[in-house]
Amino acid sequence: MISLREANPFAAFLWLMLAAGIAMFCLNPVLLALSLAGSALYLAVRNPLAARRALPLYLALFALSALINPLFAHNGATPLFVLNHNPVTLEALFYGMAMGGMIASSLCWFRSFQEIMTSDKLLYVFGSALPKLTLILSIALRYIPLLRDQAKRVRDAQRALGLFREENLIDRLRGEARVFSVLVTWALENGIITADSMAARGYGTGRRTRYALFRFRGRDAALCMICLALASVAIAAAASGALRCDFYPRFRLNGGGALGAVGYACYALLAFAPGILEWEENLRWRALRSRI
Amino acid sequence: MKLLVIRSARLRRALGIAIPFALIPAAVLWFALGPGRGHFALSSMLVALMALVLFSCGFERRKTGARRLILVAVMTALSVAGRFVFSAIPAFKPITAMVVITAIHIGPEAGFLTGALSALISNFYFGQGPWTPFQMLSWGLLGLFAGLLSRPLKRSRLLLSLYGVFAGAAYSLVMDVWTVVWYNGALDPALYAAALAAALPYTAVYAVSNVIFLNLLGRPFGEKLDRVKIKYGV
Amino acid sequence: MESIAVQNLSFRYPDAPEPTLRDVSFRVEAGDFVVLIGETGSGKSTLMRLLKRELAPLGERSGEISLSGTPIEELRDADACRVGYVAQRPEQQIVTDKVWHELAFALENMGLPQASIRRRVAEMASYFGIADWFERDTHSLSGGQKQLLNLASVMVAQPGLLLLDEPASQLDPIAAGDFLNTVKKLNREMGLTVLLIEHRLEEALPMADRVLVLESGALTLDLPPEAACERLRGHPALIDAMPGAVRLFHAAGARGRCPVTVREGRRFLRERYKNDIRALDASSAPRPEARALEFRSAYFRYGREQADVLRGLDLDVRAGEIFCLLGPNGSGKSTALKLAAGLARPYSGEVRVFGRRVRDYKGQSLYRECVSMLPQDAQTVFLKSTVRDELREAGAELSALPYPLAHLMDRHPYDLSGGEQQLVALAKALATKPKLLLLDEPTKGIDPHAKRKVLEVLRALRDDGVAILIVTHDVEFAARCADRCALIFRGEIASSDAPERFFDENSFYTTAANRICRGWYDGVATVEDAAELCRRNGGET
Repeated sequence: MISLREANPFAAFLWLMLAAGIAMFCLNPVLLALSLAGSALYLAVRNPLAARRALPLYLALFALSALINPLFAHNGATPLFVLNHNPVTLEALFYGMAMGGMIASSLCWFRSFQEIMTSDKLLYVFGSALPKLTLILSIALRYIPLLRDQAKRVRDAQRALGLFREENLIDRLRGEARVFSVLVTWALENGIITADSMAARGYGTGRRTRYALFRFRGRDAALCMICLALASVAIAAAASGALRCDFYPRFRLNGGGALGAVGYACYALLAFAPGILEWEENLRWRALRSRI
Repeated sequence: MKLLVIRSARLRRALGIAIPFALIPAAVLWFALGPGRGHFALSSMLVALMALVLFSCGFERRKTGARRLILVAVMTALSVAGRFVFSAIPAFKPITAMVVITAIHIGPEAGFLTGALSALISNFYFGQGPWTPFQMLSWGLLGLFAGLLSRPLKRSRLLLSLYGVFAGAAYSLVMDVWTVVWYNGALDPALYAAALAAALPYTAVYAVSNVIFLNLLGRPFGEKLDRVKIKYGV
Repeated sequence: MESIAVQNLSFRYPDAPEPTLRDVSFRVEAGDFVVLIGETGSGKSTLMRLLKRELAPLGERSGEISLSGTPIEELRDADACRVGYVAQRPEQQIVTDKVWHELAFALENMGLPQASIRRRVAEMASYFGIADWFERDTHSLSGGQKQLLNLASVMVAQPGLLLLDEPASQLDPIAAGDFLNTVKKLNREMGLTVLLIEHRLEEALPMADRVLVLESGALTLDLPPEAACERLRGHPALIDAMPGAVRLFHAAGARGRCPVTVREGRRFLRERYKNDIRALDASSAPRPEARALEFRSAYFRYGREQADVLRGLDLDVRAGEIFCLLGPNGSGKSTALKLAAGLARPYSGEVRVFGRRVRDYKGQSLYRECVSMLPQDAQTVFLKSTVRDELREAGAELSALPYPLAHLMDRHPYDLSGGEQQLVALAKALATKPKLLLLDEPTKGIDPHAKRKVLEVLRALRDDGVAILIVTHDVEFAARCADRCALIFRGEIASSDAPERFFDENSFYTTAANRICRGWYDGVATVEDAAELCRRNGGET
């Protein structure tokens, strides 16, 4: 197998979205714990530095969320103590913890998503469904660094003509508005060159096809199939109520029986596979390197 | 996100009809009364996604000339680049103003696209997340409405400023609904009020900066866009 | 490959009183390399765009254009890619964010399947040597690479005719040479038909099979280069754009066969003129004394981890002197200019303007009647919707401009030609009445007429005692205007001298006139010097 980073972006996108989505929309403590552990493992293997920086933050969010909910939600059958004439309940605390887990794990999934789904990969994923929008995105993405550089040039030019003052905040705001205004004219007026260049290369003459660097190989198909199979079992288990969990009035986690167990197992695979695949690849490379 | 592979034009057209008249009502009913009751986060996410798919399908169906396409791309890039230009002044971001100006002068569709795509691209730099579809939708809708109201907004500076305040507030209202629903699974009024209160300073700065930008940039940029519209012949 | 036939073509823009093209007829055979010349406003670009149906301007058209026998109205949409088109600005012609996507763009538009796109893109990337930067962001490329990418992404669609509208005008000389050589290679190896508009003809003209000359919308010459150059007598504006050998031929008032390349020019000189007088009397006016700008062992780098851009730069520019700083890309020329304009500070050493350190000028005082800079791209200066407003907001007195711009006052800055834009930007830079004027590539992309105009303005300013520092790649321009030239290399001055001596001692970094005269006459920098020597020596047979 290959890691999600090396896989076809479509497979990687599907996998991450399903892993994050199922946990996000099923309030089940076991699923959330699996999701949190899986996403943290993936981020840690993928980019240890980012993980070291981000994970404490997510943990703090988790704690904050767990503490805030009991202050607002007062239903629940097991009061712990009374604060400002309102009971603070155990159930509300559990609910807050579940929410915190959900938020922390989805942030963690999206942090990894950000790492591996670069803009060209996202354009690839949506390109077949939305060719025109992705073309606009691609053009806009090309323009942004250009505009950033041009803004610097404009600022220098205006400054050296003595037309850009920066003694105080108002002057500064006016000056930047001036730079931005020059930039807007420049971009709009010269945009016609880009449009002409598109027309000259036959844009709009017929049905467009799409070229992509990424290929969809057998292993990508396998990844997609596995991912869909795991996800559908987990979703089926959730939909059937086997993974049901009630927080109020009293915390009760459905045992779920065989279907529940299978559902948990499938989701566990779904959540841990990205990290494990990445890890396996790291190991393989280390082995290869030592042999070279 | 939009995980539909809509290859055939016929399917796109079918979706264009099915989503507003069947799928969105069905989803709302299913989540409001049916077995999905209580899954507010999931339902709001699905509705937002469907709205985006609906709009994209409408756009993909039509033929758009290179120049119109470039105009939208350039305005999108400019509204994102504005963030970098004004980075020296904290909390002043011209995105909303740019979206509104685009919408007024080029039309509601261009407004929606510029708004939605600016949100998406901004998040390439500041982090994608489950909030992305909501940001896309809220900025897109702010553009759409500004485009629909283009006549009065063009005529009166006061109305334009009011729209700036409205945009600042509306954006915060919508995004906080999402925050609370996502966090709490339902729209708890007390929590919503708390979220709004916590966001109040940002909302205020946001509304004020919108008004400033719309007044500062509205007329000159409008003139630039009008000239370019003639030059491009769109 | 495609051939073009144009029959009695006339064209008038809507609302224009006069037609832009009148009764133009010519043929270009398949595989020809044709250069189209004419002054700004002669209708060259209009003619070229009319040949490319997708870009044809709106207006009244009569006459016929056909591509390999088919009138262009009857071409199918899918034939759009049979004609390739590359224009001036490399930056703006790029459509997408990745090099590979840019290469594939035309093929996607043609609706080709993945497999054939893959093959053609691979082939084209290999042919153009793009494979190394195939996956890079288009933004990260240099200007020359960008224009090469534009060419490659047009060529990938296998056009039979290539239309080039000043493709090299925004490039530095080395990149421009590379670009034109690539075009020539395509012409020679593939039999590609090429129609080229260019202001800088030193390299392009010798490549051409034929030259077309447009004057006020009418085609006045259609001949091979040597013959066409001979017939240019009486068209000083056109001669200005010609290679050094052609300019020398006309300046010396010679007759007969016109030399085009430096090699032919050398032969022409030695065959036709004696060299009893080897040099002109050196004008030995002393350098003015008053120092306007001084660099004293200035060091600069953009970031702590980066390499030095300036390494102990020593330089002084005197009041009433034009100083040209030449050097390759990345040698630190533009950075030196930035330091002089107070946009950056040296981390060691100092920069003084009129005896005071730049950093001691507080607030705006450096820019008040003291220093002004004309940036490389004139468009970074324009903010308003008319030239009048532009000048007014900079505080210029419209009644007392250093040179007349009245005819441009009500136009939008972006509707002007490159040369006119440069002149308006220069007027804006002069609004504060600077005593030290800094210019970054003032001749980039402008036509010879505007160049001459800029030259006159700068000379007048110098005579008024203004100190002028010019950073440029344009050796011909430097030779004509400079009182002093310096070569900057790796952040320090490699040589500095008066232009006659400066160019005489360089063997590569020098003007065409100097290369032609080398070994025959001494101390020649400009064509005018060379012609003067020819006249004095006599010997025209």
